[in-house]
Amino acid sequence: MNEETGSTKTAAERSAAAGAAGDTSSGAALADGPGRADSDSEHAPENDHLPLNGLRVIDVGTFLAGPYAASILGEFGAEVLKVEHPIAGDPMRRFGTASKRHDATLAWLSEGRNKKSVTVDLRQQEGVALFLKLVGKSDVLIENFRPGTMEEWGLGWDELRQANPGLVMLRVSGYGQSGPYRRRSGFAHIAHGFAGLSYLAGFPGETPVVPGTAPLGDYLSSLYGAIGIMLALRHREATGEGQIIDIGIYEAVFRQMDEIAAAYGLFGKVRQREGAGSFVAVPHGHFRTVDDKWVAIACTTDKMFERFAEAMGKPELAAAECYGDQRKRLAARDEVNRIVIDWVGSLTRDEVMQRCIDGEVPIGKVNSIADIFADEHFQARGNLARLTEEGLGEVVIPGVVPTLSATPGRIANLGPPLGNATYEVMRELLGISAQEIKRLRQRRII
Amino acid sequence: MTTEDAEARLPLAGIRVIDAATVIAAPYSASILSEFGADVLKVENPLGGDPMRYFGTPTKRKDTLAWLSEARNKKSVTLDLHRPEGVELFKKLIEKSDVLCENFRPGTLEKWGLGWEVLRRVNPGLIMLRVTGYGQTGPYRDRPGFARVAHAVGGIAFLSGMPRGTPVTPGSTTLGDYLTGLYGCLGILMALRYRERTGKGQYIDAALYESVFRCTDELAPAYGMFGRVRERHGPTHNDFACPHGHFPTKDDGKWVAISCVTDKLFERLAIAMGRPELAAAHVYGDQKTRLENRHDVNEIVRDWCGSLHREEILDRCFAAGAPAGPLNSIADIFGDRQFHARRNLVAIDEPDVGETVIVPSVIPRLSATPGRIKHLGPRLGQHTDEVLSGLLGLGQDEIDALRAKRVI
Repeated sequence: MNEETGSTKTAAERSAAAGAAGDTSSGAALADGPGRADSDSEHAPENDHLPLNGLRVIDVGTFLAGPYAASILGEFGAEVLKVEHPIAGDPMRRFGTASKRHDATLAWLSEGRNKKSVTVDLRQQEGVALFLKLVGKSDVLIENFRPGTMEEWGLGWDELRQANPGLVMLRVSGYGQSGPYRRRSGFAHIAHGFAGLSYLAGFPGETPVVPGTAPLGDYLSSLYGAIGIMLALRHREATGEGQIIDIGIYEAVFRQMDEIAAAYGLFGKVRQREGAGSFVAVPHGHFRTVDDKWVAIACTTDKMFERFAEAMGKPELAAAECYGDQRKRLAARDEVNRIVIDWVGSLTRDEVMQRCIDGEVPIGKVNSIADIFADEHFQARGNLARLTEEGLGEVVIPGVVPTLSATPGRIANLGPPLGNATYEVMRELLGISAQEIKRLRQRRII
Repeated sequence: MTTEDAEARLPLAGIRVIDAATVIAAPYSASILSEFGADVLKVENPLGGDPMRYFGTPTKRKDTLAWLSEARNKKSVTLDLHRPEGVELFKKLIEKSDVLCENFRPGTLEKWGLGWEVLRRVNPGLIMLRVTGYGQTGPYRDRPGFARVAHAVGGIAFLSGMPRGTPVTPGSTTLGDYLTGLYGCLGILMALRYRERTGKGQYIDAALYESVFRCTDELAPAYGMFGRVRERHGPTHNDFACPHGHFPTKDDGKWVAISCVTDKLFERLAIAMGRPELAAAHVYGDQKTRLENRHDVNEIVRDWCGSLHREEILDRCFAAGAPAGPLNSIADIFGDRQFHARRNLVAIDEPDVGETVIVPSVIPRLSATPGRIKHLGPRLGQHTDEVLSGLLGLGQDEIDALRAKRVI
């Protein structure tokens, strides 16, 4: 057998390493977006219809900041090889709620989607040599070690580009590859604080809270990373030249904050925590209903407020001499909010929702995950993908975003078992003999 | 290398984008494309233009700071799409463009005779980004949607705040807009790649709430499998890691964030605190043990942080390699060495505004083809004549007539 032959699946089945958990059987149901929910599987439109068909990505990162970029590329057709330490694997496998599969938490199953796991020890010279061979056969490399780590292993940009002059390399770290803090360890939670987002979450003068979810910055930096990769691939196709994309997680977080920098720069305005509200508009916040649930209401314009006043049965509030003007509402923030609190507090969530929706007022339930699972719109849009894997049962994970009309992405498998594609990749991609693979395995290089 | 050479090298040189959208979400996709070389024509209503011009703090030019920053690099072309002449001109622009970004409520463009089926006939390779609160399909498609509402619907507002307290804004009310802009931009880039292989265009159907929901780690699978409903956790509770939170320091109002997601990191924190024994296996060396004794562990960290100045805590943590950082206000950020070293803040002098405006610089940072900010958000209609005559070949008489009729 040479490296060009043999299908992925058969190779995976042959692989002794994959034996740990068996092959993944994918339902792919709901993963394709609206109108495609019934494409059942194995024979669904294959790679020809995916925009990243033919692209090979090596993901040697850990956790989410960077690896999520690889997940998205995988959803749209790229082959993603997750290179992991032969014994420990990606720590993401142990982060979060345990599943029945000993090497996978639920977070790993979801965010390791579509990847193939290949074990290589980069702390051993032979591992480094193997890694460089893999890089030579790939288009994109994603890493998130602390700056300097790959260089210590002999895997700096110079070595990598020698192995592959067209390589596109995404480097994500807490603070980026340059600057005084580059060596500090950084996680999204730290980046939220450093970039100024956490400072703004919570009530004025009170404890700053986590802005929604702890890994937000990981997702954000990965999105910028994926965009950078797409741009760099375009450049490579035009010129043959590869390049590095350098992202600090804090930068991705800081880029989200509308005019905060400009307003401080020009007027010295330091934005503070605003509780459930917003400095730009009133009413604009979260309000409790009589059944102890919450709704979000966002009247960003006078027109919206007029509709809202009508929905409340108090159209007179929107008169010009009353609260019809945003500036007046901002000046009388507490009074306006009090009116809304009282009105919302007198009705059930369903009643408030219905009246506002009838009146075209921007409103939404403050959904818990239980609300989300029960929501007809989430169902209709295919936002909850249900995949079944032997030994695990059904796993519900977020579906593919964004939705492309001609080339929708897909979820082919959940986060893979550790090393499930090591044999396949070593044998078929790198052309290493079965005997040699055995030796490498015994020495724990793979 | 001359400026022109550098421009020609940008990965999106030669790509023309029509941005007919408003506020931040879809327009942000276009902003990123422009930073990397695309020519972005912002098509605005002649009367007032994009409401983003009024969102936030006004400048001497009236346009707000948010507009100046986020409409960077765009050219403003006024066109009234409610009028048949406006629709015809818009089609001509589409014919000469690669990408269209829009965020009207579903059905609006169709009402004007500018739906996907029409536009794809005008330009079979067209890539169209459609952003709405709830997407183009599903029962809520016609509801108005803003990021605030998307944070609520997508599940992150519910998670922000003190346990059982009022859910708060997750840091910024515009988060969902930016997230959706990122997904939209990525969709466009993938669609461009597909078009180059096949000649076929397509549309991207993005919903604000979906972008938010996609960033919720294992929230969905944990509910799906174990029925666990994650609640608001306040500053120091994380389901999977301890200590992981915000801690007050001796300096009033100054906080630090600490995040020990692995045992190794906790060991380093214990060293930073001068109490390496805490990381012993039989004490708190194991994540599971720390999670079980969350209250005690947090108490130790809180006491330590409360006894020191913020800078002392950070110095000790950095020396030991423990993951900690300040909770920066924007004032802290302006004084921060890393922000300056990485040039994350760029001061742009706009004679037109009469001031120097500081805005966030381009990310992602590409080594061979870095993006750039050529200018801040344009005045309303600043480039209408240039585009109508230069791109569409209209004569001055025609342009004057359109202007007299307020079509442009």
